[in-house]
Order: sequence, then structure tokens, then C-alpha cells
Amino acid sequence: MRVTQSMLSGNMLKNLSNSYSKLGKLQEQINTGKKVNRPSDDPVVAMKGIGYRTQLNNVEQFSRNIGEAYNWLDTTDDTFDKVGSALQRANELMVQASSDTSTPEDREKIDAELQQLQKHIQSLANTKIGDKYIFSGTKTTTAPYNNDNGGYTNNLSDNAFGKTIEIEVFDGINMQINTTPLNLFKNIDDVFEDISSKITNGATADELSSLITSINNNMNELLKTRADIGARQNRVELMDARLQSQEVIATERMSENEDIDYEKTITEMITQESIHRAALSVGSRIIQPTLVDFIS
Amino acid sequence: MRSTFMGLEASKRGLFTQQSALYTTGHNISNANTEGYSRQRVNMQPTLGYPGIGLNAPKTAGFIGTGVQASAVERIRDSFVDKQFRQETNKLGYWEARSKSITQMEDILNEPSDYGLSKAMDEFWNSLQDLNVNPEDGGARAVVVQRGIAVADSFNYMYNSIKQLRDNAGEEIGILLEDANSILEQIASINEQIMAVEPNGYMPNDLYDARDNLIDQLSSYFPVETKKVESGGNALDQAEGSLTVFLNLNGKQVKLVDGNQFAQLRNSGPSDPDGVTPTDKITGLHIVKVNADKSETHLNEDWTQTGTQTDYDINLFNNLGKFKGLVDSYGYETTGVTKGLYPEMLEKLNTMAKEFANEFNKIHRDDPNNDEGRTSDLYGNPGEDFFVSKDNSGNITAGNIYVSDSLIKDPNKIAASNSVGAEPGNGKNALNLANVKFATIAALDDVSVQTYFEGLIGQLGVDGQQAYRLTYNAQTLQQAVLERRASVSSVSLDEEMTNMITFQQAYNASARMITVIDETLDKIINGMGRVGL
Repeated sequence: MRVTQSMLSGNMLKNLSNSYSKLGKLQEQINTGKKVNRPSDDPVVAMKGIGYRTQLNNVEQFSRNIGEAYNWLDTTDDTFDKVGSALQRANELMVQASSDTSTPEDREKIDAELQQLQKHIQSLANTKIGDKYIFSGTKTTTAPYNNDNGGYTNNLSDNAFGKTIEIEVFDGINMQINTTPLNLFKNIDDVFEDISSKITNGATADELSSLITSINNNMNELLKTRADIGARQNRVELMDARLQSQEVIATERMSENEDIDYEKTITEMITQESIHRAALSVGSRIIQPTLVDFIS
Repeated sequence: MRSTFMGLEASKRGLFTQQSALYTTGHNISNANTEGYSRQRVNMQPTLGYPGIGLNAPKTAGFIGTGVQASAVERIRDSFVDKQFRQETNKLGYWEARSKSITQMEDILNEPSDYGLSKAMDEFWNSLQDLNVNPEDGGARAVVVQRGIAVADSFNYMYNSIKQLRDNAGEEIGILLEDANSILEQIASINEQIMAVEPNGYMPNDLYDARDNLIDQLSSYFPVETKKVESGGNALDQAEGSLTVFLNLNGKQVKLVDGNQFAQLRNSGPSDPDGVTPTDKITGLHIVKVNADKSETHLNEDWTQTGTQTDYDINLFNNLGKFKGLVDSYGYETTGVTKGLYPEMLEKLNTMAKEFANEFNKIHRDDPNNDEGRTSDLYGNPGEDFFVSKDNSGNITAGNIYVSDSLIKDPNKIAASNSVGAEPGNGKNALNLANVKFATIAALDDVSVQTYFEGLIGQLGVDGQQAYRLTYNAQTLQQAVLERRASVSSVSLDEEMTNMITFQQAYNASARMITVIDETLDKIINGMGRVGL
């Protein structure tokens, strides 16, 4: 085959540009840390990449939702704990009041304290997270206990106060984060009203001691609700742990799918660099002297 | 008896012929780097010996040589390699155009990345989840509206950019056809010059080169065939004659140039007044003859009939040439079906935007007839449409999808609640809205919007990969053929230098020969018959 200068230089140029484009690709991979930068680099990786991104995004969102669930459940539990203490105190006071040794003056003092406890529980019923009433069902902007508007009574007729608030904590798994204890609050309130009116009317010790049972019944009811909240808190904790491991897995899978192996890519890059240098040094040799240089 | 001065004449011929060879060497060296130049060679041939043949021819002992003549100046070229080169150029033209279109589309879709449509969709989903948690929060509502706008903007941007690409491809097709038409005219004009020169016994090598260059260029656009037609007169045997150029459509030959006559290509589909720039889907091409008064006459494939338009379907182009590559991107219609990278992508984006918006609106809108479908906003009013079309046509596409104005003005109108009256803390419908992204939709081949988009990107990637690979292959093959062509036709300076020395020495020798003959004549004229002087 006849070989001419233009063939040599043409070939040389083509090979140099090939080597340059390989170098460019490797540099792009190292700069971005990604194996693929456009779908055609590897369609499967690109497609999966979109999926993994969404999955990771979802897991992060669910973690955020879980934070909100903790907030609600912890606040609810804490509130009920305080309601429980108040009832406990009411119980003690009633035991004291129902004793035959307490005078009507003593009972009036006890009644005064009981009334403060009643107000305390009413204000606990109006507990808020941010500016939301947590015991109002889905009517989170309306206070469950409204002094000017018949206490709990009017709200009890609105079924929105009995509705649950659910958030998604995992693909398709919803969790109720609120509790709807309006009835319980109403019952407790009624017991206090009862006690107050009985004391005012000068009830006997026996009559008063029967009311202790009512307080204890409500206390039991409260404990049941708290048990439910405790169970849900456990579930949230489990879900949280699961999400955290899920996040690690999703990040790992995404990275495995599209991130470069730095050691490998840098090694390839150095190899390619040396090939490129070799090509360049060969390039300087293809411009050979011709016969022209030797004819005088 | 031979002439006294015959030796002088023979050597003079030597001088002249070596000189033309030397000049041709100079021409080769000058054109060593000229694109498409084929090296030339002076064919030398001895002149007829003495005596000539005939009854009255003098009787001598055998022929005596009378010197040399240049019979022709020929270019060194292999027409078979040319044919191969054009076939590879065809393929390269197609795949290069296709790769370019796909690259541009990949740039616009920008996946996988943290900025594309799928990211906008993800963020929209996040905002709806947040709304579910905090439905009474004005901030969460405003974020949903803004993220919804971002999704709509992403659709709009992709749609408009791809549409812009498509318009550009249309312009490019117009320019390509204009260029091809100009090439056809130039080939015809070169044919005319060649047909005028060849009958006089000349070889217009540089015109041949120019014509081959034009055909190379034309073959990057279309699959073309050529046929030689001899010139007649005193044309040399090696003369190449005029070239008839055909468009080779799947075996069918459509004549484009015949001698000094040429046809012009016209776009058969809807096009601009120039007849070549498409305004909508291309259906095929036809050819016309432009008359002196600029009017156009339709021609059939072998020009035997005029007046009726004969269309050549775009499918006949067989994935060959840049023209088909561009048309494949721009879009064409064949047997009533629209095909093409850009229109198909636009169609898919439209379907996706429309189905997503409809599904989303269906969940967002209050449905009084279905207990499960009740929705209401923060004020307790029933939910309306979330996404609308910008032009209020009601027909949502990727180009016109937008968030309803009333929601942008008042984000409290987002129907986050599934209640009938106002329930500020009810965010159940927001959760339903969030899940639209993952709901299977019948019109999207029974997959979710998310999966549909993944599939779309995957398909684009596969198409791109194929186009890049085949571009690379075609490039390699073309390069190999180009190498072979260069091996035959390109100028080697070493060779030219060797030739130069050969011709120079022969020239010098001829000159010396003349001196020798001069001396012999000197002997005869000045030295003879002067005995004793």
C-alpha cells in the first residue's frame, strides 16, 4: 500500500481527537462523580437513577413526617400525663372531703382548689402545637373548650371533632397522629361540676365518696387512651428506625448505580493521560523530513 | 534516408515532454494539501518510428525511434473506492444528524440530574406531604402552589425547547435542500464544460476532481448513483465524460442531472414558498425543472413525462444520508402515521402532562356524587381544578399546562380536605393528591407518571446509544475508505521529489543529446572537406 504524508497526518489527527474525547469523558466523570451524565451514556443506569432519586426523596420526606408524628404523640402523652396528675390530686382532695371529720369550711376550701383543677384540665384540653389545637379533630383552628360557647357541648355535636388526622409514614402506610378525647374531657368536666354543686349544696360524706368512683373511672379511661398513644409511639419509633435504615440503603443503591469508583476512574484517567502523551510524542515524529530536505 | 536534423527533433521532443512531466510534478506539489485533489501523471508514449509505413517508404535497416510524446495527463483515482466512500458517507450523514438531535434533546430533558422534571415532581410531592401534615398552614399551601408552578414550568420549558429544536431542524432541512439544489446545478455546469473540452482530446482532470467533490458532498445528503456518458468527438479513451446523477431510492433511480440539464428537489409536504423549507410534517420529495422564466415543471423519475408531480415517499430513503436523518428528527408522515424523534417526544410529553393534570384535577375537584370524592378548601368551599390550560381551551398539553389563577392568588383554595364543610386540620385529600404521582393511569400504558417518564428517558437513552455507536462505526468505516482513497490519489512529496529528479535528469540528458548532435553537425558543416586546412 502506498502511504503518503496526508494519510499519516490525517490518521494522527483522528487518533489524537479520539484520545482527547476519552480523556474528556473520564474528566467529566471525575468532576461530576457520576458514571452517566446523559441517558445515552447508559440508559439503564439513567432510568434507575431517576427511580432511586425519587425513592430517596420519599424516604427523606417520610422521615420529616415522622418528626411531626413524634411531636404530636409526645405532646398528647405529656398533656394526658398532666390531666392524670390533676385527676390524682382531685382524687386525694375528694378522699379528704368525704371524710366525716372535714367541716363545711374545709370542703369549701377543697372545692376552691377543685375548681382550679377543673380550669387547669380545661386549658389542657386546649393544648396547641404551633397554632393548632391538637384535640379538635380536623377543626384544628377551633378550641375544644370554649368558655363563652357552652364549654365542650357545642363542639361535641360536630363530628369533625371526632375525625382522625393521618400522615403517611411510609409508602402506603398512614398513621393517626391525633387523639380525639373530647368525650373524656367532657365527662371529667361533668364530674367536677357535679362535685362542685354537691359541695355547695352541703352533701354528706357518703354522697361525696360515691363521686370518687366517677373520678377513678375517668382516670381508667385516660389510662386506656394513654396506652394507645404509647403503642403508637412505639410504632413510630419502629418506623423511624426502618426509615433510617431505608435511607442508608437507598443512598447506597443510588451511589452504587451511578457514582464512579474513584480509584478505578482515576487510574483509567492516568492511563489515558499517558496514552495521550504517547500519542502526542508520536505526533511530533510523523512530520518526517522528505526527500526535499536531502536534495540540494 | 533519415533527415540530418532528426536527432535534434527527437531530443527536442524529449525536452518538451520531460518539461510537461516536470510541470505536472510542480502542479502535484502545489496541490499536495488541496481537498479532493487527485495526483496527476503524464502518460508518455514513444512517437512513431522512422520510416513510416508505406509503399514509398525508404528502405532502411529497421525503425529508428523518433522520440517521445505526452499522450495524456491523467489523474490517478479509483472509482470503486469513490463508490464505497459515498456509501459510507451516506450512513455517516444519517447517523450524525440523528446523534446531534438526540444530544440536543438529552440536554433539554436534563436527566438524571437534580434539576429536571422528575426533581420538580419530587418536590411537588414533598410539598403535598407537608400540606397533609399542616393543612391549616398558609406557608405549606403557598409552597404547594409554587411547586405546582415549577412542575408546569418544567413541562412548558421542555415542550417549547423541543419545539424550537424541531423548527431549527426544519430550517436545516430547507438549507440542506437549497444546498443540494445548488450542487446539482454546479454538477450540470461542470458537465457542460467537460463535454466542451473532451471532444478536443483533452483530459480536464481538475474539473473531474471538482465534480467528484460535489458528488461526495451530495452523497452525505442522499444516497446517489452516477453513470458515465462518453463525450464523443476525439475524446480520449480515459476521458470520463459527463456524469448522470441519480437519487438511489431503494433501487429506484430518480434522475437529478443529465449532461448540462439538472432537476431541482422540492419538498412534497406543506412548505414555505421557497418549496424546500418544511412548515409541518414531511411526506416526501419530488423533482421539478426550473424554466428560464422561473416557472417550474414537474418531472417524473426519468424525465420522460412532464407536468405531473411524482412524489417519492420518505421511507424510500432507507436511513441513508443527512436529509433522512434530519427528517427522522423533524417528523414525517407515512401512511397516515406521524413519526420522528421530536414529534413523538412532544406527543409523549403532551400525553404525560394531560393525563397527570386530569388525574390530579379529578382528585382535587369536589365530586358531590361520590362520597369518596368530596373535597373542600380551607374555607369549606368545594375544590376546583388545580391545573388548567393557559389558553383556557380546556385541552391541557405540555405546552400550556399551568396552575389555576385563582389558586395562585389564594393558596387557601387548595382542596386539602376530604370534608364537605371547612375542616382546617383535615389534610387527607392532600395525601391523595400526593399519591397521584404513583397512581397507574390507563392512558399512560397503565403505568404511573413517574414510571412513564423513566421509560421515556430510557427510550431516549437507548436511541442515543444506538445513534452514537453507529455514528462511530460509520466514521471508522469512512475513515478506512478515505485512507484507501488517499493511498491511491493523494500526493506523496517523496514520490514527487523522486519524479522531479527523474524528469530533471531526463531533461538534462535530452539537452546534452542536443549538444552531442550539435557537435556532430558541427563536424559535418565546419570540419568536413577542409583537408589540410
